Amino acid sequence: MGDIFKVFNMMAWFPENVSTFGAELDNLFGVIYYLSVVIFFLTFGIMGYFLIKYRHKEGRKGYNYHGNNIVELTWTILPTILFAGLGLYTDSAWAETKYSHKVPVADVEILVLGKQFGWYAMYPGADGKFGRNAYTDRSARHLMSTTNPFGIDSTDEAGMDDFVTENQFKIPVNSNVVVRGSSIDVLHSFFLPHMRVKQDVIPGLWMKIWFNAFKTGNYELACAELCGGGHYSMRAEYEILSKSGYDKWLDQKNSDVKQLRMMSAGTTEPAPIVEESHPASH
Amino acid sequence: MSETSVVTPDSGTMDVGHHDHHELPWYRKYLFSTDHKVIAKQFMIAALFFMFVGGAFALFIRWQLAYPGKPIPVIGSILPASWVTEPMSGVITPEFFTQLLTMHGSVMIFLVIIPLAAGMFGNFCIPLMIGTDDMALPRLNMWSFWLVPPAGLIMMAGFYTETGYAAAGWTSYPPLSALTGLPVFTISGQTLWLIALFMIGFSSIMGAVNYVTTIMNKRAKGMKLFDMPLTVWALFITAIIITLGTPVLAAALTMLFMDNFLHTSFFLPDSLVTSSHYAGGGQPVLWQHIFWFYSHPAVYIMILPLMGVVSDVLATFSRKPIYGYKAMVFALSGIAFLGFIVWGHHMFQSGMNPLLGTTFVLSTIVIAVPSSIKVFNWLGTLWRGDIRFTSAMLSGLAFVSMFIIGGLSGVFMASAAVDIFIHDTYFIVAHIHYVLFGGSLFGIFAGIYYWFPKMYGRMLNETWGRRHLFWTFIAFNCTFFPMHVLGLAGHMRRIYDPNVYDFLKGLSGLNEFITISAIVLGFAQLILVANIFHSLIWGKKAGRNPWNANTLEWAAPEHPGHGNFDTDITVYRGPYEFCVEGRELDYWPQWEPGESISVHHHTIAVSKEESENKVFGAH
Repeated sequence: MGDIFKVFNMMAWFPENVSTFGAELDNLFGVIYYLSVVIFFLTFGIMGYFLIKYRHKEGRKGYNYHGNNIVELTWTILPTILFAGLGLYTDSAWAETKYSHKVPVADVEILVLGKQFGWYAMYPGADGKFGRNAYTDRSARHLMSTTNPFGIDSTDEAGMDDFVTENQFKIPVNSNVVVRGSSIDVLHSFFLPHMRVKQDVIPGLWMKIWFNAFKTGNYELACAELCGGGHYSMRAEYEILSKSGYDKWLDQKNSDVKQLRMMSAGTTEPAPIVEESHPASH
Repeated sequence: MSETSVVTPDSGTMDVGHHDHHELPWYRKYLFSTDHKVIAKQFMIAALFFMFVGGAFALFIRWQLAYPGKPIPVIGSILPASWVTEPMSGVITPEFFTQLLTMHGSVMIFLVIIPLAAGMFGNFCIPLMIGTDDMALPRLNMWSFWLVPPAGLIMMAGFYTETGYAAAGWTSYPPLSALTGLPVFTISGQTLWLIALFMIGFSSIMGAVNYVTTIMNKRAKGMKLFDMPLTVWALFITAIIITLGTPVLAAALTMLFMDNFLHTSFFLPDSLVTSSHYAGGGQPVLWQHIFWFYSHPAVYIMILPLMGVVSDVLATFSRKPIYGYKAMVFALSGIAFLGFIVWGHHMFQSGMNPLLGTTFVLSTIVIAVPSSIKVFNWLGTLWRGDIRFTSAMLSGLAFVSMFIIGGLSGVFMASAAVDIFIHDTYFIVAHIHYVLFGGSLFGIFAGIYYWFPKMYGRMLNETWGRRHLFWTFIAFNCTFFPMHVLGLAGHMRRIYDPNVYDFLKGLSGLNEFITISAIVLGFAQLILVANIFHSLIWGKKAGRNPWNANTLEWAAPEHPGHGNFDTDITVYRGPYEFCVEGRELDYWPQWEPGESISVHHHTIAVSKEESENKVFGAH
């Protein structure tokens, strides 16, 4: 029996929230939900009452009445105030999460690329700076290929320490993570359910996405925009690490990259993919 | 004296064609007829056929979501090899799954709801309800129907292409829809989809031009615009939306067709890694803007006519004037106007400038205002009525109640901030089905139950009508309400197998429940079909005006032939004069002479002298 009522307790179904702005978005949902419940019971109540009270009986006659302008005005103006107010009320959360000038200063900056069917993430490496690639320089876009999805210019020194992960990424807790998202083929949507983040990524454009996690743990990244037969399998994992854990992981990666670079010194290999996983296959 | 030489189902015993009519050959009567009623029936039959096709697609989808990787029962072993993972396995492939969801959406929207809402009701109701013999442009009308079946077949022919049916969703966002991976000049399912949609759009435009012309020029003597029933008003406003919106779709389709078939780059940016042979320089988001500029108004093309139909049904069976008739007309116009400035709410998360998102939030959320005006006026119509629960009325009430839920769930996604999480999840799927199935389709049922007697001269069986509606209503809510919950849990739409994700693992029970309900829902529709066929042959004779309604179509003979009316029609009053004081009968048809005055929003019947002396101080 309890399960049946759980269907109507909408708020209980949200996945766990780990984002700093997630609670605000969930609460806005709640505001609209409880308002809807009130309107629902009001209108259905009135309708049910009328249907029972005014059902056909011997001797009943309809009431010839064509309506009243004051009543019409009332139920025009009240919903206008209510709904326009609601729109304005929810707008600050929208501005905070999406307006580009509201994006906070990045503690961590990552480039993310969607592809059929998976995700790449690129970190700036030890120098904290991206080298010349399709994001930092539009003209480098022609370098993009299936083996070099970010279009990294291997002649640029600043890019030598950049590294790429596939189908997984890691971020530190309590930090402003700014993701620049794009795609190498069709539209995808960067959806972090637990982070309350969703943004389509478009080939040719770099979308600015930000979030800040207040909790560590392992969570999932999904694609929310139909991108072909394998759309459903376009899953990745991300881990929110403690700050020290993240630094340790970063150091580890940086030394890995260094080693790989040493081994392939002289060649013009693009940034190595240092970590891969295919979580979609389990 | 009427021409009754041949008694056929279509000419009927009460046939009253003009004397100078010569007998038409059978194919001009039943196939290439210019009679608006025949065309309406053709739209109905074609659309009901496609409804079962689209419904079958939906059940495939539901099966896969509830039982991923399990073979489809009964027909699994006979499915074409290209649909299943292994021959005879009965398990559908992810590629076929995306084709299914594309075709389900496209068929239901473009071959079922629009042909029924605009095609069937537009054709059947407009000439009859404005008291004229036929459309202004009957031949154009005939062509507007005869583009639909070929378009449907072309869309279905996608099966025979290398890539199968179109598979980019009914919204067909490029680059996915543009990149086929095939050489230039190669037809794919997507190409055929584009051609089919172009033809359907053309059909819509031809119909709409006709509706506007007919309503403006062919109203019966004495009928002012504000004497028209709300069905006609709604169809009139819908026709205006179609004429303004559909050409834009045609432009978008043409561009996408060129990208898809000729490998141009309207919507394709440069440096697509997988497809280097495109010039690039295009913009994928452009398609979304143009597509939704049509397709959001198209949502109203699919629901406005039914709002009109339901208004008529509610008034007739409440035996009451519609509450706030003019307010209803203005609300319809308001929805139509706002419909053109809200397309961006489909694109909140698609990379449009978020500042633009804010403006679209405001324009979108304001649509709730005319929508609530309509709901309140429907409730006002029920107030102090004398309510008869016929099948038509029950469908009408289902429309109103489901539209309330669908409207309220729309408020969530109208708010861009709340939309972030629910966008592209099952919450959206729930919403669109509450509006399009709970709204439009129940409105269509209301119209079919209401006008069937005038269409075929026989009543539909009320008992079976009630059974059909009962099962449809229950199964509908069990199918689509839980989808809100799936959406909140984050369940993305259009995914083949939710079990891939850890955060969706707890939802398989709900998915199963939805699928079982959907199967019940699908089979419940067979009751309607059985009822239609049964009543065509054994139904009770309807008579001219079985519902004691006021509008002009009920002045026509039981089963009107070509030319519709056997009497000259003059309109004396508005369409909703029920229970007028000073009259014996509880209805007062528009075509019946008589004087009345209006006192404080009440209509009172008076004698001629009273009206001339203006003893009541009428205005």
